[in-house]
Amino acid sequence: MSRELELTEVAPLPGGESLTAEGLERLIGPFRRGAVPEPAEEMGFYTDTSVCIGCKACEVACKQWNQLPADGFTFSGNSYDNTGALSAESWRHVKFVEQFSVWEAGGGDGGAMPGRWLMMSDVCKHCVEAPCQHACPTGAIIHNEFNNVYIQPDICNGCAYCIAACPFGVITRSTLDNHAHKCTLCYDRQKDGLVPACAKACPTASIQFGPVEELRERARTRVEELRRRGVADAWLYGHEPTAGYSRLNAFYLLLDRASVYGLPEAPRNPWLSMRGDYLRAVLSVLPPLAVLITALLRGR
Amino acid sequence: MRAEPPPRPSPLSYAERPATKVPNWHGLVVLDVLFNNLSTGLYLCAAVGELLAPAAFAGVAPWAYRAALAFLVADLVCLILDLGDPLRFHHMLRVWKPSSPMSLGTWALVGYSLAVGLLATAGLLPGAAAFDAGRRVLVLAGMVPALAVALYKGVLFSTTAQPGWREARWLGAFLVNSAFHFGAALTLVLAGLLRQQDAVAGLRAAAVALGLLHLGALLLVVFDIAPFLRAVRSPARLVELGLVVVGAGILLPMLCFSLGSRGGDLLGLAAMLAGGIMARDELVHLPHRLQHAAGGAAARLRA
Repeated sequence: MSRELELTEVAPLPGGESLTAEGLERLIGPFRRGAVPEPAEEMGFYTDTSVCIGCKACEVACKQWNQLPADGFTFSGNSYDNTGALSAESWRHVKFVEQFSVWEAGGGDGGAMPGRWLMMSDVCKHCVEAPCQHACPTGAIIHNEFNNVYIQPDICNGCAYCIAACPFGVITRSTLDNHAHKCTLCYDRQKDGLVPACAKACPTASIQFGPVEELRERARTRVEELRRRGVADAWLYGHEPTAGYSRLNAFYLLLDRASVYGLPEAPRNPWLSMRGDYLRAVLSVLPPLAVLITALLRGR
Repeated sequence: MRAEPPPRPSPLSYAERPATKVPNWHGLVVLDVLFNNLSTGLYLCAAVGELLAPAAFAGVAPWAYRAALAFLVADLVCLILDLGDPLRFHHMLRVWKPSSPMSLGTWALVGYSLAVGLLATAGLLPGAAAFDAGRRVLVLAGMVPALAVALYKGVLFSTTAQPGWREARWLGAFLVNSAFHFGAALTLVLAGLLRQQDAVAGLRAAAVALGLLHLGALLLVVFDIAPFLRAVRSPARLVELGLVVVGAGILLPMLCFSLGSRGGDLLGLAAMLAGGIMARDELVHLPHRLQHAAGGAAARLRA
């Protein structure tokens, strides 16, 4: 039996396409453009860590809805955090910070203060100016109609530049398909008018979903309320732009410094350096070119 | 294709861990950066030589373009194999996106591939000599994408969030100067092997002088990333690295090229390659080593 005959006898692919058609589709398909959706209201997450109880319902709901694989059963020794980090397989990650020795050692009036838990459900920040989106050379990473950062899984080729660009360490490449994956802010659910799975499952409303402006107002009110009640350290992370970074469409109410939660204290968009770096590189062409020209003219 | 290991839960506190994640760029990327510099450097030196001194470079330039094409093919193979999904490499051509140095580099590579491919094969076609004017225009036009290919790579690294790379403001300048130095050295060796003595004199002077610029650009990068190098390397290891990267990779070749012998030229080129690989390995793996060092330092503190 010839090889050609074998190929023609391969079971047809779903939809009855031949291998040639499949190959052609792989080649041409990525260049097709669909209709651009109409811009919709900007949506996002507001995560109030002051009410997070570390139940991990968000992690479970995210994995269930998005059909993400399990992380395995690995004991980390780091409190109740056995997920470890955000990754292509874990789009929500509940962090556990145990502040016992520090707090018990130094009380405000010399007496020992009770220790405390800080818990936080981390997720992609859906940056308004997203370094991963700037970096992506295939156009796989886009801002969708809800102004959320979305990776088109059929376009990503796993170059990993988005991983290098993200200052929050959100994205990794999947061990299953070698493409980059992260939180989609349940784009599919949003399109059907549903709340993202994690926010739906959160039993304490620590994860809140909605129009971003509304969430910001709600978060500001909550901070004021907490401060009135004596929680002086409450503050918002990412709700306003800074000198080095845009605002985040998934922002947080924190009770300690950002680094305690594993967030960069002052994230900086790498693209702020791009023009200067290009300029230095372009100008640096002139001396070697001048040296080469001089040497070759003299050597004639 | 290397799959990334799944992220393992870490016993370090969140504040002790780097916030960023390191991309899975390793040996193939080291080779990619090297081949990029070898190919573009070779092309640029041969092109400048052919445009300024056509008679002297008539015998060298065609072979230089062929060698540049060979290095470019090796570079492209490394680039494609390093993708998570190499069969989707053509997705890079979906968009023209200057905000992404990788996208800009892709299109520069397309332009450069066309120019160097045509020039490398043009001489093999019958009647090619009749199109000398067209050929010179192509040589000149090809210099634009060649320069873009040489300079985008450094900017690609420096416009990331990775500690070490993000501070290296002169990385693009270093790789451009390194490309010119490599190019002059390779063209010099090629001219020597082809016994093109008219081209050798100018190239020899260029190969020595370009070493100084190469060294200057390297020092600018080292100045930017010195705290990170000190964090991952012991003082003794830094001295060793300095000996290989600066001593063997730049100073020794300058000395060898100034001797004026073919054996010295070959030795100088070999030393440059050794130093060049070491420098690129150190730069590409800096964020990886910083991540390991952060974990190790935190573990030591706890102990």
